[in-house]
Amino acid sequence: MILEIKNLHKIYDNGTHALKGVSFSVKEGEFLVVIGLSGSGKSTLLRSINRLIEPTSGNVFFLGKDITHIKGEELRKVKTQIGMVFQQFNLIKRRSVLSNVINGKLGSLGTFESIIEKYSDGVYQEAYKCLETVGIFDKAKVRADSLSGGQQQRVAIARSLMQNPKLLLADEPVASLDPATSNSVMQYFEKINKELGTTVICNLHFLSLVRRYASRVIALKAGEIVYQGLPSDIDETWFKTIYGEEAEEVEIR
Amino acid sequence: MIENPELELHPQQLIEKNKKLEDKFNFIKAVMLDIFFVYYSILVLQRAIYYKFFLDLRELPFSWLQVTVLFAVSVVIGISWASTRTSLSCRLFGIAKDNRVSKWTTEIFGWFLFDITFIAGWIVTKISIVSLFSPEGLNGAERLFSALFQPNFGIFDDALFAMIETIYIALVATLISIPPTLLISFFTARNLMKENKLSFTVYYILRIILNFIRSIEPLIWAIIFSVWVGIGPFAGMIALLVHTIASNAKLYSEAIESIEQGPVEAISATGADRVQVVWHAVVPQIVLPFLSFTIYRWDINVRMATIIGLVGGGGIGTMLMQYQGLARWREVGLIVIMIAFVVWVMDYISAKIREAIY
Repeated sequence: MILEIKNLHKIYDNGTHALKGVSFSVKEGEFLVVIGLSGSGKSTLLRSINRLIEPTSGNVFFLGKDITHIKGEELRKVKTQIGMVFQQFNLIKRRSVLSNVINGKLGSLGTFESIIEKYSDGVYQEAYKCLETVGIFDKAKVRADSLSGGQQQRVAIARSLMQNPKLLLADEPVASLDPATSNSVMQYFEKINKELGTTVICNLHFLSLVRRYASRVIALKAGEIVYQGLPSDIDETWFKTIYGEEAEEVEIR
Repeated sequence: MIENPELELHPQQLIEKNKKLEDKFNFIKAVMLDIFFVYYSILVLQRAIYYKFFLDLRELPFSWLQVTVLFAVSVVIGISWASTRTSLSCRLFGIAKDNRVSKWTTEIFGWFLFDITFIAGWIVTKISIVSLFSPEGLNGAERLFSALFQPNFGIFDDALFAMIETIYIALVATLISIPPTLLISFFTARNLMKENKLSFTVYYILRIILNFIRSIEPLIWAIIFSVWVGIGPFAGMIALLVHTIASNAKLYSEAIESIEQGPVEAISATGADRVQVVWHAVVPQIVLPFLSFTIYRWDINVRMATIIGLVGGGGIGTMLMQYQGLARWREVGLIVIMIAFVVWVMDYISAKIREAIY
């Protein structure tokens, strides 16, 4: 087990009870997709795993170790092993693609070294390799915000690859992209999962993408897991339980 | 593992408990505000309207006993007022029952407070239309204006030199202010400091100190420093420097507070430490606003440098003060024209530069 979640609760300061006792585990090499409506707690769940959000109660085990309450240096070491990709890409807009990718390495670089930005050749080579993996080697020197949405997300993926992550979290990585670009970005996640063996946990909206890429699916509804299983097993009835009676499936090709 | 006893409660209970606590806290605040309202009304009615207007007293009588007794009376009235549904503060804090009585009374009391404040203000400022349009007053104004519009260009070179001194005072104060302001602004940005109690305390103390420094006008700082380091440009420069650091630290830290959180989240998710997060996620987002604020501040400082010259801060202001003291209005006219011109040029240049960098 690379990741185990036990009875996780999150209550925000404003009283929102975003996670209500979520438990599941993830095996190494899985491509786990989390689905559910907006506000069902998907983002909270992902952010609780790498402690961008402090869970209110419950435990998160990463590689068999309880990481729910670790702090400081220990927490940073764990964070370096978990990559994350966001819906809004979250690149530093005014900096070059290359320095954005190198930012992924910050956790294992010295503070002083990273401030004067004098990196060893090895770091640069690694960054170029990551850019090559996502197919934008030639854009290394341009400013991040001059790229298209799909390209920016690929830079963000390269940034997380720079961490050599054991686990890659993706919070609705294609929600602000058009259908065609969505598919191509998802293919990079698939490639990372298959070729590098990285475990991926990904929040998604579109069932067609889920069926195509997921090896296992978890559905959240109002902070609780309502479905756990294979993507091919999600039928009409399950779909209605997850998304409500009114919902109709939208195809994206 | 740290056990949190609050977790034993059901979340719904927790929310209700918090709500009750908040209501209690709001009620205490409402009582205090009501006491203030009552006390304020009594004092204004008594001192400004009764003593000053009706009795037309020059020296207002003052006794600690009376003030204390009045306060005690207000406390009693305030507490009983806050516990009725007519209370103004209960409505302001949103804990009053919403009904017609509370709506009517808040309107009546609100208008009452506004009216007595305005009337007292009128009395205190001694507004007098008569003295504005009196014949000898108008005569004096005419003499002054006609001299001002015939400036004496004989002192142009002296004035020019003083003007340049003023611009340099402002420039040096702005430049020296940059490094300390940068450093301080990170410690006074809420989003960077709220994480643990120690850093939040530092944030809070720094904010209080900065607010204090900022609330003292550069003019007062100039007086302080002209005693400290002696009258002259140096005193003026330090006065500006102190005020610039305090004001710009606020602007800078507000810029830091309004950055996009996304990149910060992304960089901290990679396992970067605090310094790295600030340097790689915060700094790139604030370079431009910082530059813009600093240039604007130089512009403001040129204007302020002329003012603090009046109290011995050097430059054109000191020169203006000398000629004004001698009642040589034609020379004063020239200096005023020069100040207006330089301020206009600086305003234009700084606006253009700020436009260009955005």
